[in-house]
Amino acid sequence: MLPATAVALAVLAALLAWPVPAALARAHWPVRDPLVALVCWQAVGLAGGLSMIGALLVHGLAPWGHSLPEAWWSWVRGMPAADPVRGDHWVTMTLAAVLAVELVGVLLLSWVRVGRTRRRHRELLELVVEPGPHADARLLDHPAPVAFCIPGARPLLVLSSGMVAELDEEQLAAVVAHERAHLAEHHHLLLLPFVAWKSALPVLPAAERAHCSVRELVEMRADDVALGSLPGATPRRTLAEAIVAAAGGSGGVPSGALAVSGAGVRARVVRLLEPADPLPPAARWSALVAAVLLLLLPTALLLLPAL
Amino acid sequence: MASLGELERAVMERLWAADGPVAATRLRDELADRGVALTTVHTVLTRLEQKGFVRHDDSRPRGFSARASREDHAADLMHEVLGQAADRQAVLARFVGSVNEDEARLLRELLGR
Repeated sequence: MLPATAVALAVLAALLAWPVPAALARAHWPVRDPLVALVCWQAVGLAGGLSMIGALLVHGLAPWGHSLPEAWWSWVRGMPAADPVRGDHWVTMTLAAVLAVELVGVLLLSWVRVGRTRRRHRELLELVVEPGPHADARLLDHPAPVAFCIPGARPLLVLSSGMVAELDEEQLAAVVAHERAHLAEHHHLLLLPFVAWKSALPVLPAAERAHCSVRELVEMRADDVALGSLPGATPRRTLAEAIVAAAGGSGGVPSGALAVSGAGVRARVVRLLEPADPLPPAARWSALVAAVLLLLLPTALLLLPAL
Repeated sequence: MASLGELERAVMERLWAADGPVAATRLRDELADRGVALTTVHTVLTRLEQKGFVRHDDSRPRGFSARASREDHAADLMHEVLGQAADRQAVLARFVGSVNEDEARLLRELLGR
């Protein structure tokens, strides 16, 4: 296996570790079509991990064969290497293993940890909440205006009494529709890989940026879905009012609350009040095709015989 | 027959309403309209103890009481929801986070335009 494949994968990994996520985070079009942007982010994350681990693995296993599957199989069966094995082969192989184990390990660990916290919250909530104004929304007696949902097998949608007091009927319906959209589209699963990336590779500046962007896009996507189900003449304005009331309710940040950066909230409100034109179909499709190609490229480099 | 979740809620309501520790037999009598057996009451109490919501004393018969009031539970929960650290945001999806006073004013100005 010549190093050309490993070099190509390494270049791809470098591009996906910084310039590509930075460009995607800076771009203006994702606001116009959050769903397509979310697909692109998943492709960037997956292709990034694949090419990073792949580049190390391809170089490390080079002495054993001409394609990764072939080399991997001879190595697993303990066949002698065709070419001399140098120190750098062992180093890259070890690095590949460490990185793979860490990424998968962190993913599993955050899955378990998040699941446990969710279960605890749900147990507590099921005892203290009361039936709410909407069929699937429960009411929690607390003055701060808060709405949230706990995703999972038994999802739970909760409104605080402060939220109900702060908003009118239509605005409340908008909040519930937004949270329902999170649950229906399983947005927590879209976020999970980026949470794992961020904790596995805290040195990677793109990981934090990617997580941030995906979080904002998920909120915008939920806003878009909510708009589709809202009655009334001005659903966009209703939802924007609900966001502003909930973000700034009770005179700023209640004690014990973490303030979020206003930029993300502002972006949501602005795109609701002054919607940009939707992405033209041609642009939509080229973004989706680019995402698929981005995934196919490292896969092909890994599976095909080395150049 | 009510589900375990509903029974847990009903039992907690009784424990919160009671002045002191409550015996399982009394809980069964109070829940008589639901037609629950004493063993079911014990099952529910054991589950609630495992979840850390109920404790019992050593008297005979054993008296059960809530570990914290309903308000304390709600406050605890809200504290966690509002004080979510960045890495905990995966746990639940909040409609919108709280912003500081200046940001809130900016947002209201956006609406007013």
